[in-house]
Parts: sequence; C-alpha cells; structure tokens
Amino acid sequence: MAGPLCGALVTTWARPRVLVITPDFPPVKGGIQILSHRIASSFRMLEPTVVTVDHPAAEAFDRMQTFEIVRVRRQPGRRAFTTLALNAGATRVALRDRPDVVLSTHIVVSPTAALLRRQLGIPFVQYVYAKEIGAKPQLARFALTRADRVVSISRYTTELAIAAGAPADRIALISPGVDAPAVTRTDRPLDGPPTVLTISRLEDRYKGHDVMLRALPLVRAEVPDVRWHVIGDGPLRQTLEDRAQALGLGDSVQFLGRVSDEARDEELARANAFCMVSRLPAGRFAGEGFGIVYLEANAHGVPVVAGAVGGATDAVVHGETGLLVDPQDHVAVADALVALLRDRDLAERLARAGRARVEGFTWEAAGGLVEAELLRVLT
Amino acid sequence: MNAAQEHRGPDDEGTYEDPQRRISLGVRRLSIIDVAGGHQPLSNEDGTVWAILNGEIYNSPALQERLRARGHRFRSRADTETLVHLYEEYQEDLVHALKGMFAFAIWDERRGRLLLARDRFGEKPMFVQRSDRGLSFASELSALVGASGRTPDLDLDAMDMYMVLGYVPGPRTIVQGIEQLLPGRLLTWDAREDVIDVRPYWSARRSPPANHEAEEELTAETLRLLEQSVAGTLVSDVPVGIFLSGGVDSTLVAALVAAASARAPETFTVGYDVGQVSELAEARKAADQLGTVHHELVIDQASVARRVSVVLSALDQPLADPAVIPVHAVSELARRHVKVVVGGEGADELFGGYPRYRWLIRSTQVKRVLPERCAALGARALAFPPFGAQSARLADVIAPQTTRERHLDWVTARRRYARPQMYGPALRSRAGSEAALDSLAPHLDGFSGELGGDAFMQLDQRHWLPDDVLYKVDRAGMMNSLEIRTPYLAREVAEFANSVQATTHLSGYGKKLLRKALETYFPKERSRRRKTAFRVPGGHWLRGPLLPLLEHQLDGGTLVQEGFIDREFLRASMDRHAGGEDRTSILWPILAAGLWLDRYAGHS
Repeated sequence: MAGPLCGALVTTWARPRVLVITPDFPPVKGGIQILSHRIASSFRMLEPTVVTVDHPAAEAFDRMQTFEIVRVRRQPGRRAFTTLALNAGATRVALRDRPDVVLSTHIVVSPTAALLRRQLGIPFVQYVYAKEIGAKPQLARFALTRADRVVSISRYTTELAIAAGAPADRIALISPGVDAPAVTRTDRPLDGPPTVLTISRLEDRYKGHDVMLRALPLVRAEVPDVRWHVIGDGPLRQTLEDRAQALGLGDSVQFLGRVSDEARDEELARANAFCMVSRLPAGRFAGEGFGIVYLEANAHGVPVVAGAVGGATDAVVHGETGLLVDPQDHVAVADALVALLRDRDLAERLARAGRARVEGFTWEAAGGLVEAELLRVLT
Repeated sequence: MNAAQEHRGPDDEGTYEDPQRRISLGVRRLSIIDVAGGHQPLSNEDGTVWAILNGEIYNSPALQERLRARGHRFRSRADTETLVHLYEEYQEDLVHALKGMFAFAIWDERRGRLLLARDRFGEKPMFVQRSDRGLSFASELSALVGASGRTPDLDLDAMDMYMVLGYVPGPRTIVQGIEQLLPGRLLTWDAREDVIDVRPYWSARRSPPANHEAEEELTAETLRLLEQSVAGTLVSDVPVGIFLSGGVDSTLVAALVAAASARAPETFTVGYDVGQVSELAEARKAADQLGTVHHELVIDQASVARRVSVVLSALDQPLADPAVIPVHAVSELARRHVKVVVGGEGADELFGGYPRYRWLIRSTQVKRVLPERCAALGARALAFPPFGAQSARLADVIAPQTTRERHLDWVTARRRYARPQMYGPALRSRAGSEAALDSLAPHLDGFSGELGGDAFMQLDQRHWLPDDVLYKVDRAGMMNSLEIRTPYLAREVAEFANSVQATTHLSGYGKKLLRKALETYFPKERSRRRKTAFRVPGGHWLRGPLLPLLEHQLDGGTLVQEGFIDREFLRASMDRHAGGEDRTSILWPILAAGLWLDRYAGHS
C-alpha cells in the first residue's frame, strides 16, 4: 500500500512548476482571457500557479479550477497601478514558490519575468498577440529580446515580433484553440430574417464596424430583410448607433451590448453569417492578431467574412471556411455578405468545411505545444 | 436649358427624350474621365435606363471592374455608364456605393421613375422645380429660370435670409418655386402617379465617443484616411493641380498629392497688391519644400472691379462671401495649366479650424457660473469702445443669449440688427424675421439643451459648408470650366473626423490632428501657423476700386430702385466706411446682391 502512495508523491514532487503571470483571465471576457485559462488548464507535465487580477466574480470561478490562482487587487480606473501591483504580486509568489519556469502571457508583465530570469535564473516564455506590440513598442522590444522563447499566435504576429526585435529562431507559432459548443446546430432556421452577426468589444476602430455600416445599405438592397446583430459594448457604441440612424438603417441593425455566454451561443446558433472585417490600423499600430472569434463562429457552423489582412488570414481560409475581403472596401464586404446570404449552397459548404477545420484547433493541442516550449527552456 | 449651362461643360452636349415623351434629359459636359467615350446621356444595353451626371465618381473604375465580373457590358469607361449599371444592381441604393462629388439623374424607363441624387456634402448643385408641366431639374438655377419662359418672382424670405447670413440656405433658393435638393438626399419621381418622394441617405452627424485613444493613434488614422482620399481623387485621365494657400489644410493636401504623384504637381496661389501679401510668400515656401511647379497670380487694384462685377453678377444666387473673388482668380490661373485641381475645403468644418468653436465653448462655461444679471452688466461694460476689440469679443462671450443666436451673430457680424434701417419698403416686412435663425434648427438634430462645439461643427457642415463654401468653389471653378476636388470631404474622412472629440480637434490652435499629420512632412513651426486661407482685402477694395460699383448701386442699382435696400442707409454706410470705420460686413453683401439682381432683372 505504501508503494503507490510513494509513487504518487514522487511524481507530484517531480512535476516542474510553471508560474503563469497574466493580466487577462476569466471571469473577465475576451480572447486573451480565454487563451490564458485554457492553456494553463491543459498542462499535463507542468504544475501551474496563476497570478492575475481580482474580479468580483473571481471566487466562484477560482473554486472550480484545478490549480492555484493568486489574485492581486484591481486598482479601479488606474490600469497602470493594477499592472504594477500585478508585477509586484507575481514577484512575491515567485519568491515564495521558486517556480522552474515562467509563462508571461502579456508583455506588461514581462518586467517581472525578466527580473526573475536575471536574479533567480528562472527562464521565461513570452506570449505575443499583435495590438500590444504596436501600442507599446519599447516594452515589446524589451520582452521579446529577453524571453527564452516567444509564442506567437499567427504568421502576422510572428512578423510583428521579428520587426520588434525577437530573434526568428526563438519564435514558436502556436495557433490558439477554440471551445467546441455543446451542440452544433447544422440546420439554420429557414424562417426569420437572414442575420449577420459581429462579436467584439466596441473599442478599436480597426474592427471595422464602420465599414460594415457602409456595406449594410447595399446588402439590404439585395437582401431586403437582412438583420445585423452587434454583440459587444464599449466607447464606440453610441457613435455607431448614431451613424446607423443617420444612414436610415433603423430596424436592420441591433446593438445587443454585452450578453451572457448563453445568449451569445444562441446568436451564433441562429446567425447566417459572421462578419468582422478587421483592417490593419494606421501607423505603427497593429490589428487582429488571430481572431479566435472566427473559429468560434465556424465551430457553431457559421460561415465567416473577414478582412484579408493580419492574423485573420490564419484563422480563415478564403473560399473554404469563409470569405476574405479587402476590409476597407465596403462594396466588397457587401458582395461577400450577399453571396453568403443568397447562395445557400455556398454558405453550407463553407460552414461544413469551417466546422471540420475547427476540429484541428483544440486547446489541448495548443496547450501541449506551449507546454513543450516551457519544458524546452527548462533543460 | 442646355445652352444656358455651356460654361459648365464646354466639351460636349447631348440630349435624350423617352418614347412616350414623358421626360427629356440634356447635358453639357466637361470631359475628365474617358474624354472620348463619355458622351451623355448614357444608357444600358437595351436603352431602358438612362443617366446623366454632373461631377465625378472617384471609385468608378473599381465599380466597373466589379460590375463586369457580374456580367455587365460596358461601352466606355465613363462614370455615367457606371451609374447606369450600378442602378440595375441596387436601384436607389446605388448612392451607398459611390465615392465622389455628384449630382445625377437616372431615368428608369420600365418603372417610369426618375431618380435625382446629390452628393453627401453638396459639392455639386441640383435645382428642382415642380410645375403643372411636371418636374424640371438642372445643375444651375439660371437654366430653370431661363426655361420657365418668364422671370420668376424673388422669394422675399430667401432675400432676407441672404441679407442676414450672406448666402441662401437650402432647400430654398432666391426665387419662388425652385428648390435645391439638399446634400445627401434622394428624390424619386414616379411619372405614372406623379408622386415625388425626397429622403436622406446620409447626413453629417457629430457623435464622438469618450476620449479613449492616444493622439498619435488618431493622427495616424487621419493620415491614412487622407492618403486614401487623395489617391481616390487623383483617379483621372488628366493632370491634377493643387490650390495652395500655405495654410495647414492646403499644404497637407499638397504634401499628400506630391507624395502620391510620379511627377511634380502644379500648385496655384493668389495674392493681392494691397494689405498683407505674406500669403504668397507662405505658399511659395511650401511649394519650394514640396518641389511643386508653382504658379502665382496677383489680383491688382486695377483689375479687381471688373472681376468683381463679372463674378458676382454671374452667380446663380447672390453670395456675400468675398472669397469667391480669389477662388475665381486662382481657378482662372489653374485652368491655363490643368482641368482638375484639389483644394482644402471642408477641413475647417470637419477638423475644428474656426476659433469661434472655442469661444462658443467658453461662453457656455461662463453661462454656467455667472448669474445672468452680472453677465449682462459685464457685457455692457466690456463693449464700451475704449476697451478695444478683444474685450468686445469677451463681451460677446458673456452676454446672456442663446448659443444658437450667439453663433449666428458671430458668423454674420450681427447684420440682422441693422435690418430695420437697412431694408427698403420691399423688404421692410421681413426686418424682424427669424427665418435665418430658424433655418439653423433642422441641422441641430441629436443635440438638446445648451449647445456646444459639437453642435456648431455639425451645423457648419450642413448649413454654411454646402451653401456658402462649396457653392462658391463650384461656381468659381465652373465659370472657368475647372473641376475642384476636395479630399477632406470623402465620407470616410468626414465620418472619422466627426467621431473625434471637439476638445481634441480644438486643442492648441485648432485642427490639432491636421497639424500633427503635417508634422510628418514639415518641421513643427510650420504646422503651428494660424489659419490664412485666401483672405480678401474687401474693405480696402470697397474704399478704392469698387467704389464706382457701389456708387452705381446707390444711383442706378435695382436693389435700391426696387426698394429692397434703403438708399440713405447705403449712403451713410458708404460714408462711414470712407471715413475709416469698417463697414465691409454691410457693404459687401449689398454690393453682391446688387450686382446679382441687376443681371437677374436684366438691368445690367
């Protein structure tokens, strides 16, 4: 009886420990939040401890997890202070636990990762997406030149990382995964108006809601009862609503705001097309790193329309799982949507292929590859 | 009707009449794109859809390519033909696919429907007349007036609005029975039922989100959109020039055009032999730095009277903006070298170039903290002459008044208060009219309570911009058969500018984002320069070369003779102006209306 118990103890002791430092973690919603959680949850060989930021609903969420989560207090309205507190908290946990390796899921926590590396010799792996590289070029350079390995989420992100100073041979391109829905509806409702869906925070102009508003009157000219449902909230919402009104779009557009996961899934189950025509922002700023949301739409059996730039070109295969268009050409966007809404065969073919392709994007697979990178820098 | 518009289109003309004789379309054409193949009116393959176009569809090549892919067959590259086929795809909604400046008509033979449309900011004009003979329309008011057989009566309310504002705000025109189609509107006429429907398809709307972006990000976006817009306006088979005043707007446009062109663009500027001539030097400096082929013209005192009487009398409707004179002159100069130019119009209204926006914001702040009685007292004290011009401005800021009235008085130099003395018997009944003030209200939708910078930027974009600025530019250009394109008015640029906080636009000297964008091309000191664009020495001219024209108005002008303007008032104003007091804001509108009316009434 002592034997198996000892064995279990030995394995537990032998499991190397990874400190995951992340400013973005559930229950807050968003792509990086999901990614941080799913990756940490999928480790088999490594024992994770997550250091992140507090949230009112965090306690209930954290109880459900299989690993330790340490939360530092959020400084309301002062993001910079929260980031400082997170870095300090991560340092404290690292001194307590002496992890074997650090996963920094955002460049804003790279100062701690780099400090631990220099002072304690703990190697670190840096995750990069896109937007943050453009927004904080100096910090990005700092993180990318000090990390032992860099995980990029798309070819586009890899290009941005190399341009920001990451040595090409230290970058691993690992596509994110996608949560498969419990049930995938294969039959779109035939009654009811044809619906186009967009999901994103209404914060960044590059997501292309403005172009979509320009396209919609043209779509409506050919598909008169078309509806555009916009999920998400943010500073741009009122501006977009006013513009929809000025264009006389009336009932054709519905801004749904922030919705529950269930309501979101319900919208995805009913939509005839998903559309988010992210473009590359101007100047040194970066656009869509990958666009997990395209895969989520595919997972629900919805064909997608995306901009033919940035990370979306990895998330969507043109003519196979969706249509890639010039994201600044509203006439082209309208054409693509009309094609999906009118040509049932095309829509079904893309939806089927999209669902099949999504099966290759599991979080288990992505997590395994990230874990391999972490183990690699350990030795 | 066609002959009346020959100057708009000297290169070609054409007409179409439908088999049932319900409709007749006529065109005068200035050839820009597909000079040989663009004869108008143009129809589809089976002659069931006919179109005529005034203006330019910048994205026509891209639209044609797309329509060809959908199986449409084109006989030319002319953008009028694009309209025909686009109409087959989208009917009325085709406007949503168009970029450019346009006023067009499409006749749908099968449905028996006529569609008229005007571009989003009103760069191209469209006049419409309902009568027992049906519906007539034209690019110029005079074409309709000429076709109606008798001279229509003046609209006295419009005349009053002109005297207050300096321009006639749409949909009104100076004559009865003829209206303008407003910018961003579609008109459909069902020939079978004889029913007219007018609806908006776009309108300028200020609706900025809370500040959540870095200034650098907004500047980068401004540049990106302007680069695209400039590239769009350069789609043309002919060389393109630039109006360059040396100010921020035109210098930025010139820099963008120069960056996008293979060979050095030609730039044009105008100056005067009186008053400040530094504009010429500024423009020259900018041209040097950009390496353009620069042309200058000086409007000298000897030639100004002739130009003023020719231009002001040839206008469709009276316009009191003296800047029409330099724009006409620089158009004449440019036309000797090019058929198309780009200009900086719209930048002030979209990117916050007028200092009054900041003053209006201040006046709202004062109102919030200062009790009305104190404000009234203070204003009266500050307006006392020895305190000077600065404190008079301050008096305006704190005087208790609705912001809408304050705005009106600032942009019109308080002309409306002079009406009881200014108006002769024919207009006297309108001396207390609020028509001009009321005409502002429909453009303030989306705003309530105390109006701020956002409200007045929107108002200017919908009221002053189409009926003063763009009217002036289109007419001055067309009198010279020159097409003037305005990259700032691309809808993408406009929608973006209108979704940026007024406080961002107005910080520093105003036009913050344009100044920042210009720093990409020029060192900092240039972008800090204040507004200069084509300022006019009108007061100077009215004391010198234009005095005989004024005197003629006094003694033989229709305006005085028919009792619109009081003769004694005019004489007194002229005397005071001659004596050194600046009465330009009264004398110029009277002169402009007088010259226009003399021609209209056939007295010149």
